[in-house]
Amino acid sequence: MICEHCQERQASVTVTQVINGQKSERHYCEVCAKQFHPFNIDFHKEEQIPIHQLVANLFGLPVWNNTQEKTQTTTQKATQCPKCGFTFRHFLNEGKLGCPQCYETFSKQLPQVLTKIQAGTTHSGKAPGKPSKDHTWVKKQIETIREQLQIAIMEERFEDAAKLRDEIKELERKLEHGGADTP
Amino acid sequence: MNLEHFLKSEAPGWMDGKGLDADIVLSTRIRLARNLESYRFPLSFSEQEAKQVDEVVTQALLNINKDKRIFSHFTIQEMPALQRQVLVEKHLISPLLAKKEKHASVLLSEDETMSVMVNEEDHLRIQCLLPGLQLSETYALANQLDSQLERHLPYAFNESFGYLTSCPTNVGTGLRASVMMHLPALTLSKQIKAVTQMLARFGMVVRGIYGEGSENLGNIYQISNQVTLGKSEEEIIEDLQNVVVQIIQNERGARQSLQKNSRIVLEDRFNRSLGTLRYARVMTSEEAAASLSNVRLGVDLGIIKDVPLNILNECMILIQPGFVQQYAGTTLQPTERDIFRAKLLREKLNVNSQNSLEKGEERYDV
Repeated sequence: MICEHCQERQASVTVTQVINGQKSERHYCEVCAKQFHPFNIDFHKEEQIPIHQLVANLFGLPVWNNTQEKTQTTTQKATQCPKCGFTFRHFLNEGKLGCPQCYETFSKQLPQVLTKIQAGTTHSGKAPGKPSKDHTWVKKQIETIREQLQIAIMEERFEDAAKLRDEIKELERKLEHGGADTP
Repeated sequence: MNLEHFLKSEAPGWMDGKGLDADIVLSTRIRLARNLESYRFPLSFSEQEAKQVDEVVTQALLNINKDKRIFSHFTIQEMPALQRQVLVEKHLISPLLAKKEKHASVLLSEDETMSVMVNEEDHLRIQCLLPGLQLSETYALANQLDSQLERHLPYAFNESFGYLTSCPTNVGTGLRASVMMHLPALTLSKQIKAVTQMLARFGMVVRGIYGEGSENLGNIYQISNQVTLGKSEEEIIEDLQNVVVQIIQNERGARQSLQKNSRIVLEDRFNRSLGTLRYARVMTSEEAAASLSNVRLGVDLGIIKDVPLNILNECMILIQPGFVQQYAGTTLQPTERDIFRAKLLREKLNVNSQNSLEKGEERYDV
């Protein structure tokens, strides 16, 4: 067999390579093999193999999907507080939020953080305005009527549904007035 | 009320040595964090917003107390650095507020028990301080002021997260209750570590009074709640109260066994410390704090009889760098401060005890 590199001398060295699970064999003469080995490897000049791919090859894992990761981070970045421009990442770095609006903007992510540092994720103390008991009572009422409303719609009793809807509106108005009326 | 009133070299109202368990609990502090809707938090707000918040809050506070006029307004920017430091050392403002330049201000009540910091980490920090262990009384005071303010101010509040604050460690009730305790016997008998660990399990934290990193300077600890969300104000107060009562019992127990086992060693130690305070010419704040703690324990145990508790409370405040420099009337290098500190302590501790000195020395082994 003739050396694949110089195409002159007799090949006496066999180099076996596994790239992306594909086995390939090369045959070189001693002179050419010396040049290549161990640092002057110029086989496959054309393709530089990224390190993570090598690792993946080693463990027989699927190659990490670069593009997927990128889209994930961009969607995370996209949730930006409209009021102060804070992102959730910004909050994590800073440890503080930018404005009251942030609590709405990040209402999904915040509980994960809060469970670690607080006794719960829901407030159970003082509230501004009316004594909290009245509030909760009216709210419970609204909730039950809403459920009735849903049932009425499902059963196509539209006249009842309209009445229930008006009842809810009335209660909601009460709730707002109650809050504003306190001296 | 002018600022000089609040800069006087006197122990503030919350340190008058009265109140429940005043030998161990120096003071009780309640802080409520509040923010205004539709303004960004001080971390990210504009100059314009800062100015508006300052104006709106100040106006609301002055309106509430129209007839009584108990609050005086001071802008941080207009104060010289030394005055700011004195207010920090009196625990009337926080170190963070003292550093602020953007429309930060403080409203102080005449007797210094109530203060409202504006544009600190949150738009409002309502603070009440009372001597001794008075958790529910102090909270009632803060709560009353808060309820009055909420009629004039649109607070940022959310159904599920409660009062919204810049830092999620304050969200919910916005309440931080803390109790300042002198725990020399627990420290001496090395039980304080166990206490700290126990507190952590109950969601409480321990800090030193002279700020971060001064953990046991003068054997004084500040114990406060960590959790602000998921518990009501009453629950937070009650839990802290229970823990503090427990610690008081432990401290008293430790004091008794110390007294039983090593009375003469203690007597020697306390009187040496008193001697140091009365006669030293150079005094670092560490040595001063340690000596004051010893003398205080001596007074509590009845071994030292001629030093009133309120003088000791005053000295504990006065040994801090800001006060020492105010006393000297100029800014000082640390080594100069140590000289003035010693002078200040000599004056405070020798004045009222010249006559009773001999009697006191005879009395101590009764």
